[in-house]
Amino acid sequence: MSSLAQILSHAKGRAPNILKTLLAVQSELGHVSPASVPDIARALGVTDSEVAGVLSGYPDLRTEAPGRYVVRVCQGESCVANHCGRVLKALEKKLGVGLGETTRDGRFTLEKVYCVGNCAASPTVMIGEDVHGRVTPEAAETLLKDCR
Amino acid sequence: MMRRLYIPQDTTARAVGADRLVKAWEKEREIEIVRTSSRGAFYLEPLVETDGPHGRTGWPNAAERDLSRILRGEGGTPIDTIPFLAGQTRVTFANAGVTRPLSLEDYRAHGGFAGLEAALRLAPEKIIEELSISRLRGRGGAAFPVGRKWQAAYETHADRKYVVANADEGDAGTYCDRMVMEGEPFRLIEGMLIAAYAVGATSGYVYCRYEYPAAARALREAITILTGAGYLGEGALGCNARGGGGFTLEVFVGAGSYVCGEETALLQSLEGKRGVVQPKPPYPAVSGLYGKPTLISNVLTFATVPSILARGGAWHASLGTEHSKGTIALQVGGRVKQPGLAEVPFGLTLEEAIEEFGGGMATGARFKAVQVGGPLGSLFTKAGLTTRICYDEFAQAGAILGHGGIVVFDQETNMVELARHFMAFTADESCGACTPCRVGSVRAREILDGFVQGRGRPGDLDLLADLGETMKQASLCGLGQRAPYPVLTAIEHFRKEFR
Repeated sequence: MSSLAQILSHAKGRAPNILKTLLAVQSELGHVSPASVPDIARALGVTDSEVAGVLSGYPDLRTEAPGRYVVRVCQGESCVANHCGRVLKALEKKLGVGLGETTRDGRFTLEKVYCVGNCAASPTVMIGEDVHGRVTPEAAETLLKDCR
Repeated sequence: MMRRLYIPQDTTARAVGADRLVKAWEKEREIEIVRTSSRGAFYLEPLVETDGPHGRTGWPNAAERDLSRILRGEGGTPIDTIPFLAGQTRVTFANAGVTRPLSLEDYRAHGGFAGLEAALRLAPEKIIEELSISRLRGRGGAAFPVGRKWQAAYETHADRKYVVANADEGDAGTYCDRMVMEGEPFRLIEGMLIAAYAVGATSGYVYCRYEYPAAARALREAITILTGAGYLGEGALGCNARGGGGFTLEVFVGAGSYVCGEETALLQSLEGKRGVVQPKPPYPAVSGLYGKPTLISNVLTFATVPSILARGGAWHASLGTEHSKGTIALQVGGRVKQPGLAEVPFGLTLEEAIEEFGGGMATGARFKAVQVGGPLGSLFTKAGLTTRICYDEFAQAGAILGHGGIVVFDQETNMVELARHFMAFTADESCGACTPCRVGSVRAREILDGFVQGRGRPGDLDLLADLGETMKQASLCGLGQRAPYPVLTAIEHFRKEFR
């Protein structure tokens, strides 16, 4: 794992691309801490507010470390039509957290996502980068058991 | 005897167990597993195929225990006889389920680069003329005539021009771009190369959404392969004959903002900024990425271009209806029996799409409404099912085709909650550049919250209608302009539920 300084050293010397830099930081460190905004701004030669503006403008940029497994329940129309609310309820109950929250043991973060393009096999749950289709409330609980 | 099994590696096929089959079977000595793209008949996935006497034979919804049956040739269905597939006119998706996504050999053997080769024999003006004759309209949702866009980018003089593929396929219910990128990335790149040559661009980007990691990976690998093969890179292929600079291509991954599917917001995002919609003009074809002329189109639009150059604009114009030429990739889903991708010429009715391809309603489900064109698309009831799928009839109905998503809702759907869901989506995704969308979507969501909680007040529906009209008229981009439609059509058709 690289340090923030190492990641930023790669970003220097090119036309500053704030989003790309923030995604690189997140990919290495798991999230972008708001405390790192001034360092990133300085490295890119832009203002703090420009960096903060990009950081808050994209739902997939995280400002807090997520749980080990990020569980995303799709809320796209096809999943809604296939009653994905029932899957979400089952997961909330099983994990004891609501949307946007992380379990106390730090294992799971539960989130929503607007469509992962798996609409023909709705409802969809994405865990990390793995997409699961035709997920029933019961199957959703089994998926959690497979996370080790 | 060695038997070859074809198993798709498409995300949806994997989401319903394709990888499990591969893992279970790959150690078997007598079989060779070939990972292909998916045919898009997703209700049949995982669909395992073998070579039969007359083309491929398929075993739908295959499970691990089916291997011996498959190897004995028991119970398979010839792929050609599956009505869902046989009833389609596959052009852009002709190789779906047939070829290996990253095999240049397969791509060439199935007509790959015929369009590019034809284009390189023509002057740029002639390529653009061919596109104008084809009457291709942008497939991302706005349906702008593609020839006119290319003409504008061609005519604008600049030291540098860009070609950008909009792969921010955010309309829920759609995945045709994902299928192209994962299943036949060379086709998208071939279309972009033709565009680059025609307008004189030397570099380009595919802006791919964060939710499509497999598509981004496939594209990056495809770019590496095509660079190695001399199609991409500086000085490659003599592409951009005037500048001789070749064409370099890069994948840029976004970070989950729906509005970045709007072209000006996308270009802001590509520059690394917050994805905020910009007023037009200037149009990107005149002043786009870093202020340079930028030809930006949806993935499916670029992927359609190679066949047009290979077969001629007139061929394309011979398909479809008077103002909607070519084929449309319908993604029929929701509570239907057979969710999947159906590529057909424009002009069939919604009912035909749902019945003939969707296979009617899923077991136990009764039709309540259908939404066409993603989260900003209008809702239709039974009475609207005679509407023909083409730009004119949809425009007359105040509706949009969007990206070809058709989502069917059943009797268990609560229309008040659904309307609230639509407006909450817009409130979440509004970029904030214009007041009608930024404030209007939040106020409308609050009113709908009231109905969900059973405390709708007299006059609230009028207020929603009024707010909706303002958003339609005064918003800067399609998000705010279209956001009221699903909500207002839900109220129009299911007024009794809004109390």
